[in-house]
Amino acid sequence: MSLVAYFRSVSARFFRRAKIDNELETELTAHIQLHADRLERSGLDRAAAERRARIEFGSTERFKEECREQLGGNFLDTLLQDVRFSLRTLRKSPAFFLVAVITLALGIGATVAAFSVVNSVLLRPFGFSNSDKLLWLYSQRSDNPRTNFSLPEYCDYRDQNTSFDGLAAIASFNPSLSDSGEPERVQGVKMSANAFSILGIHPLIGRTLIAEDDKNGAESVVLLSYGLWARRYAKSPDVVGRSVNINGESRQIVGVLPSSFALPNLDTDIVVPLQPESDPRRNARNSVNFLRMFGRLKPNVTVQQAHAELDSIRQNLHRQYPDTYTGKIGLTIVPITEEIVTNVRSVLLTIFCAAGAVLLVGCTNLAGISLSRAGARQRELAVRTALGATRNRLVRLLLVESAILAIMGGSLGLIVEMLGEGALLRLVPTDLPRIDTFAIDWKVFLFASGMTLLATFACGLAPAWLLSRSDLRDALVSSNRGSAGGGVQSKLRIWLVAGQIALALVLLANAGLLFRSFFRLSSEQPGFDPTNVLTVRFSLPQVTYADRAAIVQFYEKLQPRLAALPGIQNAGLVSILPLAPKSISFVHFTRPDQPPSKPENTPSTNYRIITPDYFRAMGIPLMAGRYFSEEDNGDRPSVVIVSSVLAKNHFPDRSPIGQRIMIDDNDAEPRPVEIVGVVGPVKQSNLETPARPDMYLPLRQAHKDGVPFLRNSIYCVARTNPEVGGVAYNVSQLRVAMRNVDPDVAVSNVRPMSEVLAAALASRRFSLLLIGSFAGAALFLAAAGLYAVISYGIQQRTREIGVRLALGATRGRIFGMIFKEGALLLGAGVAAGLVIALMLASFVASQMYGISERDPFSFAVVSLLLAMISLIACWIASRRALNVDPIVALRCE
Amino acid sequence: MSDEAELLPGTLDMLILKAVSLGPLHGYGVLLRIQQISGDALFIEQGALYPALFRLVRQGLLKTEWDRSENNRRAKYYELTAKGRKRLQEETDWWNRSSKAVAAALAARPQEI
Repeated sequence: MSLVAYFRSVSARFFRRAKIDNELETELTAHIQLHADRLERSGLDRAAAERRARIEFGSTERFKEECREQLGGNFLDTLLQDVRFSLRTLRKSPAFFLVAVITLALGIGATVAAFSVVNSVLLRPFGFSNSDKLLWLYSQRSDNPRTNFSLPEYCDYRDQNTSFDGLAAIASFNPSLSDSGEPERVQGVKMSANAFSILGIHPLIGRTLIAEDDKNGAESVVLLSYGLWARRYAKSPDVVGRSVNINGESRQIVGVLPSSFALPNLDTDIVVPLQPESDPRRNARNSVNFLRMFGRLKPNVTVQQAHAELDSIRQNLHRQYPDTYTGKIGLTIVPITEEIVTNVRSVLLTIFCAAGAVLLVGCTNLAGISLSRAGARQRELAVRTALGATRNRLVRLLLVESAILAIMGGSLGLIVEMLGEGALLRLVPTDLPRIDTFAIDWKVFLFASGMTLLATFACGLAPAWLLSRSDLRDALVSSNRGSAGGGVQSKLRIWLVAGQIALALVLLANAGLLFRSFFRLSSEQPGFDPTNVLTVRFSLPQVTYADRAAIVQFYEKLQPRLAALPGIQNAGLVSILPLAPKSISFVHFTRPDQPPSKPENTPSTNYRIITPDYFRAMGIPLMAGRYFSEEDNGDRPSVVIVSSVLAKNHFPDRSPIGQRIMIDDNDAEPRPVEIVGVVGPVKQSNLETPARPDMYLPLRQAHKDGVPFLRNSIYCVARTNPEVGGVAYNVSQLRVAMRNVDPDVAVSNVRPMSEVLAAALASRRFSLLLIGSFAGAALFLAAAGLYAVISYGIQQRTREIGVRLALGATRGRIFGMIFKEGALLLGAGVAAGLVIALMLASFVASQMYGISERDPFSFAVVSLLLAMISLIACWIASRRALNVDPIVALRCE
Repeated sequence: MSDEAELLPGTLDMLILKAVSLGPLHGYGVLLRIQQISGDALFIEQGALYPALFRLVRQGLLKTEWDRSENNRRAKYYELTAKGRKRLQEETDWWNRSSKAVAAALAARPQEI
């Protein structure tokens, strides 16, 4: 078929309808006239000839109609008719229209919002090329599968393996950054120069690292992340080539990384070259473990082969240096993409499924309402059939109607989503990986369209199916309004409502479990008292704070200033704050009288360097012995304080006070320290896992090998008196005090400890909030559906109820009759919902804390809640039945 | 009228194309031409011609133009397009093949089997 001719024909139908009609009229008239002319020539008079010609031609109207049907675009035209008709119908029932559009807007909006987050975090391509070949490597120890490598160890793996197209090392590096603006503490990494070619990352502007950057005596360079570039340099393209001061050292900015760049468990504001060969630790076998590794597998090598090869390298090292490598019992190898998103996958998918379930409940609800409307409209539809509409045409009409609703709801949902993008992002916990590059892209639009289509069929299919089954002639003949197909219809509605109740229960059960987990967790004692405690993280420039003495000097200047502030009661320093994300520091130790049976069984403990007032500021209780004092300095014997967990695990036989242990916290030999105190346990890394052993050392006795780490990461905590000055005043006083000691010190934001604690719960709060509101919406919709089906049933039976009342049935009996129906429905729905929820329980097991994912208490409570709300809906519906006047009911016909 | 044959279904389009292939015609002219070339042996319902003409125009087989008829009436003239000419050729071939086959089948005598 020629497209040009077809489109001309289509446009004739839609845009030149009047002209076409006119021309048809002229053409057919011409035919009749020409025929009449011919008849006239054969001897008839003009009038007779014209009459005869007209009779022989037949009905002009019929042929005109047939001609019009031959024009193209017939399908589109009837569709438009259906749309016009549906819009007219919907306008006539504004309440239904409004409810339907809002329900769908909420359902589709929630699903699309959840999808857009899932899309950003899980689906959007990672910045790496061929990311399935990229592996992230940890050293495995008996007590921790994910620990770091030392520099010589990295170099051995790098040089000896044949499985990887390059093996890179990465270390966290949190320096202060200063230029013309205020100094700022940034989170960064040191990376071997081959890292970027391994990851397959191209710079946004400038360049990434090249092999020369790792060479001895290379010019000092730095790369900026997209985030830092946007935040501090307002995306100015001419930063490349500028010099900045990183930890007191001048470095040239050579490039900006793309926004998609993200690394597992590491924040990256800046990247600097690692320069492994010129590092003093290059050949120090016993030096600190501070590196993680990643590599790109060669094309034909499997993960298992690579693992085996690396493990044999590890065993060789173990044989060569038994003392150094005994604790390292293997390697943990994870695909890099898994490592980035693995913790959030199950949470996000749960939220996504919950949103989808709400949409489903909403659609089912509308399908129920459409069913009753279809029932009520059966006469109208029957009349249309009698006038020549085919059944397909009617089914299409109903689908068009639900498509209109779905499209309006879907667009509204999408608009709300786009307007509410900011609100959505505020809700999302900031530690969600990759969320900072959140964008509503074409995939979200595609998904929204798909959901709209799905909603169309979910809402429209049930009534259409009903229509295709029922005998419409019956509806026309029968005097009883809307009875044809009534049995099937009400059965279908009951099934739909039972389904809604089941779905709502599944959501409620999940919300209940999350709620209980959340409160179990938030009532856990973190081991410190977070109220009225302010914290601030800072870092000290390398040049001015070269050794321990300089850091101690800084402390000695800061301490009296803080003590002089009226709002501050106690203030202390600590190397790593409890619950501070992504920071770990631990040390191995031994009891000389109980050497470990095997070297790999050497126990380890969290390792913190503090000043004497830290415990008082944090409210960590002393359980035995003493706190540190300012006299515990470099001239006195080294002392430590341990937590009660360490005391219980390793000194079950005696008091640890006065005991000597050997700690391995330096590049040379383990050194002896004396335990002088025992403090309460503290949850250092998260609230979920029980407190591990802790060990604290006084700042004045910190080992020189720990100074670089201390310089990069140190926190000041201050217990404040809220009655003096208020929080804002104390915050500014704290900042001013630190600035006054040294204006070059990079100070991060001051955060109350309660906020740090809340952040540890943020992602749970987020999913609880979302699942909770979805469950609430589903509960409301299911109750509304139940209400509708009960009141519809009552409406259908007004006459019957009237007769019963007239014959002397008590109101209680009628009440019971209706209630029984509702209760049956409810029971079926709840039973089905419980079965589904129990089947799905294992999917949310990882999100539980302190309770089983099949916690009977939660299941019972939500079932009761659902039953109560549903029975209230039933009761409201049945009150209408009880108010029926028997006389009115009997007349009702 | 009794000697006029009912039109076989599907052949009207082919006959219209044939009629028009001999020169541009208005609708009534098409009717007359078909009657003329078939020796008045085929009966065509006059009005039924027009939906068929519209269909052929939509398919791009015919094009139209308004003009004056021989007795000075405004009429729509139909003309064959290149595509229409091709289609006519195809349909003629098909018709010849199948009618020959049917004729042969009907001419079969018992002794030939």
